[in-house]
Amino acid sequence: MFQKLIAESTAKSPWLFHINSGSCNGCDIELVAVLTPRYDVERLGFKLTGSPRQADIVVVTGPVTKQSLDRVLSAISQVPEPKCVVTMGSCPQSGNVFKGSYSVCAPLSKYVHVDVDIAGCAPKPEAIMDGLVKATQILKEKRGQK
Amino acid sequence: MINLNNMVDYHHFPIYSIMVLFLGAFLIAATGGKESKNPRNPAGFRAWIALIATGLSLFFLGSLVKPVMMDGEVIAYWMGSRGIAGGYAIGIALEVDALSLFFALLISTAVFVSAIYSIRYMVHDDCVPQYYVLYCLLAGGVLGLVLSGDIFNMFVMVEILTFAAVALTAFRTKVYGALEAAFKYLVVGCMGSTAILTGVIMLYAQYHTLNLAQLASLIPGSMNNATKLAFAFLYIGFSTKAFIVPFHPLAADAHGAAPASISVLISGVLTKSGIYGIIRLTYFLFQTMNLGASQFMLVFIGSVSMFVCVTMALAQHDFKRLLAYHSISQIGYVLAAVGLSTSLGVSAGLYHAMNHTLFKGLLFLAAGAVLHETGTTDLGKLGGLSKKMPHTTVLFLIGAFSISGVPPFNGFASKWMIYQAAYQKAVESNNIGFLAVTIVALVTSTLTLASFVKVSQSVFFGQLPKEYENVKEVPFGMRLAMGILAVLCILTGIFPNTVTGILTQPAAKAVADVGEYITAMGFKSNLPVPELNFAQVGVWEPINWLLILCCALLALTVVAVAGKYDRVSESESENEAVETKYQLFYGGEKNVYSQVGGGDLFWGFKHNWRHYFSFMHDLHSGVVNDYALWAVVALALAIVYMMIVF
Amino acid sequence: MTANIFLNGLQYLGYILIFPGFLFCFLCGMLLVGIDRKLVARMQKRVGPPILQPFYDFFKLCGKETIVPAAASRTTFLLAPLVGLAALVVIQLFIPIRGFSAFSGMADIIVVLYLLLIPALAAILGAAASGSPYAGVGLSREMVTIIACELPLVLVLLAVAKAVGSTMGSGLCFSLSEIARYQVENGSLITRLSMIPAAIAFAMVIPGETGSHPFDTAEAETEICEGMHAEYSGAPLAVFKLSHAVKVLTMTSLFVALFLGGVGTGIIAVDGVIVFALCVIATALFISFVHAVTARLKIEQVFKYYWTVVSGLALLSLVLAWYGL
Repeated sequence: MFQKLIAESTAKSPWLFHINSGSCNGCDIELVAVLTPRYDVERLGFKLTGSPRQADIVVVTGPVTKQSLDRVLSAISQVPEPKCVVTMGSCPQSGNVFKGSYSVCAPLSKYVHVDVDIAGCAPKPEAIMDGLVKATQILKEKRGQK
Repeated sequence: MINLNNMVDYHHFPIYSIMVLFLGAFLIAATGGKESKNPRNPAGFRAWIALIATGLSLFFLGSLVKPVMMDGEVIAYWMGSRGIAGGYAIGIALEVDALSLFFALLISTAVFVSAIYSIRYMVHDDCVPQYYVLYCLLAGGVLGLVLSGDIFNMFVMVEILTFAAVALTAFRTKVYGALEAAFKYLVVGCMGSTAILTGVIMLYAQYHTLNLAQLASLIPGSMNNATKLAFAFLYIGFSTKAFIVPFHPLAADAHGAAPASISVLISGVLTKSGIYGIIRLTYFLFQTMNLGASQFMLVFIGSVSMFVCVTMALAQHDFKRLLAYHSISQIGYVLAAVGLSTSLGVSAGLYHAMNHTLFKGLLFLAAGAVLHETGTTDLGKLGGLSKKMPHTTVLFLIGAFSISGVPPFNGFASKWMIYQAAYQKAVESNNIGFLAVTIVALVTSTLTLASFVKVSQSVFFGQLPKEYENVKEVPFGMRLAMGILAVLCILTGIFPNTVTGILTQPAAKAVADVGEYITAMGFKSNLPVPELNFAQVGVWEPINWLLILCCALLALTVVAVAGKYDRVSESESENEAVETKYQLFYGGEKNVYSQVGGGDLFWGFKHNWRHYFSFMHDLHSGVVNDYALWAVVALALAIVYMMIVF
Repeated sequence: MTANIFLNGLQYLGYILIFPGFLFCFLCGMLLVGIDRKLVARMQKRVGPPILQPFYDFFKLCGKETIVPAAASRTTFLLAPLVGLAALVVIQLFIPIRGFSAFSGMADIIVVLYLLLIPALAAILGAAASGSPYAGVGLSREMVTIIACELPLVLVLLAVAKAVGSTMGSGLCFSLSEIARYQVENGSLITRLSMIPAAIAFAMVIPGETGSHPFDTAEAETEICEGMHAEYSGAPLAVFKLSHAVKVLTMTSLFVALFLGGVGTGIIAVDGVIVFALCVIATALFISFVHAVTARLKIEQVFKYYWTVVSGLALLSLVLAWYGL
């Protein structure tokens, strides 16, 4: 029963850690915008944290530049299990307009397992919320497997 | 023919306890200064002589607890049986009442523990046999001072201990500033000794006796200007020994330069002798403590010492200098509590004096352990030692909790009594000034906690610098000494009623009952036997609290373990280059050494007090001329004050 | 005889574990935090998380992996949260609920004052043991906040001691249960003129002690990555979150016990509900409302604010109480 309680809670209290890997700030602003009164993802229990140690979901924005690659990977590795990696915007998925540049390492899925991709440049708030809720379901499954 | 039965009579024990120390000093000196080949104990058997001498001294004093503390006997001992002739004391006397014995016990405990510590601590030094000579001299001097029954012998003992303390301060001549510190101490210490001598001369010229008890019976009825002058001189003289404001800068220098085992003596023993002197003067010799002016003087100086020194400590960058300022801050507590002139206040003050000896000794020994292993006490250079020296860390934390008054350690019990005593005094005398003492003391206590947080962050926790990766735990002998003090810290905190009942209340009773002190020596006194009231406003039964805390912690631990709290994931090796999971979070950056140092940890506090701190910084110039000037000004002020108010 | 001791022991164990000990602290503290988060969201025109959100957070954290960084001192790092929580629960045991206090006669406001330091101290030592520089900055700010709150808190408690003591006859009174008894006989302390500034000052101390806006500089998540808790994860973090919740309960119920005491119904359960309702009101006014309308201060501003405005109010109260108002 206690395990079930924990699994249920895992889906209801996902904390976000946001990494900007060279983004143009469009996605970053959109992510913060879903916390505002109009969309308010806090009603689903989402919360932004300042440290990867406390996070459940890592949200990566930006095309993963060469400079930021090591930093992104080390921050993701520091998140305790069960964790979930979400890429937000087209950049970390394909490189977007920066594709082919010498200084861009996208897609991120070459380096770590990515659970959810939220496409768009920048994605719509509804899309972001949908992606995050999907991520919570994945978190719950991961917890259940344990 | 020596009569053995006569020799084991406990009336001889006070003189034995002093003699064994001086005899030890003589024996060590007589065996020459050749060092032994044993690298773990360069002083060889001389260290054991010192240990045995201090141990015997402690034993003799310990066996006096029963007659003096519990049965309330005052031991009057005339050397060579030369006593009173023609109404005047002509012999040399020892007089041991509960107050003397209380301080003597503190002193001999600190001296004994520090002697255990010295054996393994002094391995890196030259001339270690000479160290033990001075060590025994210092210990004997202080013991002689508190057990002495006449004021001239007090002066002689002050000279001996100042001599030994100055030499020991300068002992590590290779340490930067050691000679300078010793020189400062010498100059101001000599001014203090001279003041004491002057006071003694003035008293002798008027009353034709040097015996404390006889002076106490003669002076109070006949205070004239010369007596007041003598009082001022004596007061300033003993202030320099207690290092209270304005003599506090000397303590910082002396502690910083001296070996840690000596810092324990300077802080736990020398300052106590000064406090003892002040109590003897104000309560016994001149009996001025029923006057508001005298109470104001001690309480004011005490409160100022408390606050000024704790803020000075917050600004320090060196472990031992920081401890030195704290030591004066705690002496401020003692002085303020004693100055309240209520039986609860005196008892609380003495209790705090005892606790101060224990926890400050522990902290200095911990600082010494850090110095012994790393070679520095600079807060900016150290860090993360808890992984290498876990036992020292735990012992340090016990000391730090005690001094900051975290329940249930001993500092809390005595501070709590001091707050109550001050508040009670304020209510009884309807004087809002005493209320300020409670408030200053409470705030000072928090600031003390802050500066020990600073020490634990910048020495024991935080990150380990590369150069200290091979640091080891200190040898067992040093940990043993610290362990003894730590256990005493906890015990005196958990059983405050027992401790106050056996040790401090008899001492407080002796302070109040001056008539007994005078008559025990064979002089006439018509002072009434006072009524004492040790009743307290609040209740502090550490056992109950501790029991509840333990239950709570136990319940919590069970829940935590059941919830797999202990199943943590840890890095197997510390040098995994690929695995970033167990590195610290630096915003994704690679880990580099980055320690939040102690220097300016509380800038949010300092920023608001920046004018005060820059004023203090300018004031403490570090020039000995300035400090000598302070001493002269303090003497002048004391003379003026005493002429006006008494 | 033995049976009696056994029953007594069982009773005290019940106090420690259930009411007003762990279970009560856990449920009520978490509920208070949940209500606080909901209220703040509503004040900002948001829907806000469900009131049970803190429970979800707690259980989720219990199920997460606990990472101990390689640079940390393991024992201190793991033990610190437990000690802090235990100390808070112990304080809660001594705070009277109307006429009832679980361990009567032992609670002394100076002891409570010092025990309030232990949770913060435990958090600080845990942070220091983690070795993170972010935690280092956080602990520095936390310590300054403690120093800032200490002076007004001391003044308030001394004022209360004097106000109660001068009426009760002994001159001053340090016992919490005596203060509760006084209020049963003479009505709430807040009705006395001299105690109004003290109550306001204490109310201002609550957000500082609990690390709530605008005084949450110590764990400013946007600047210093959660500050003291930067390296904590999993169960120890859950215990820290719980400690925070219990601290909210402790501070508000201390406020209620000191200033809003009065006649109880005599039934512990009903009294408990009354006190909890008062705690909710106190939380709403002094934590949620202040949170919703202010932005985070800088640490030196926090210090200045407490040592001037709040201490001034508390001092005024002390002086008034001294002259018997």
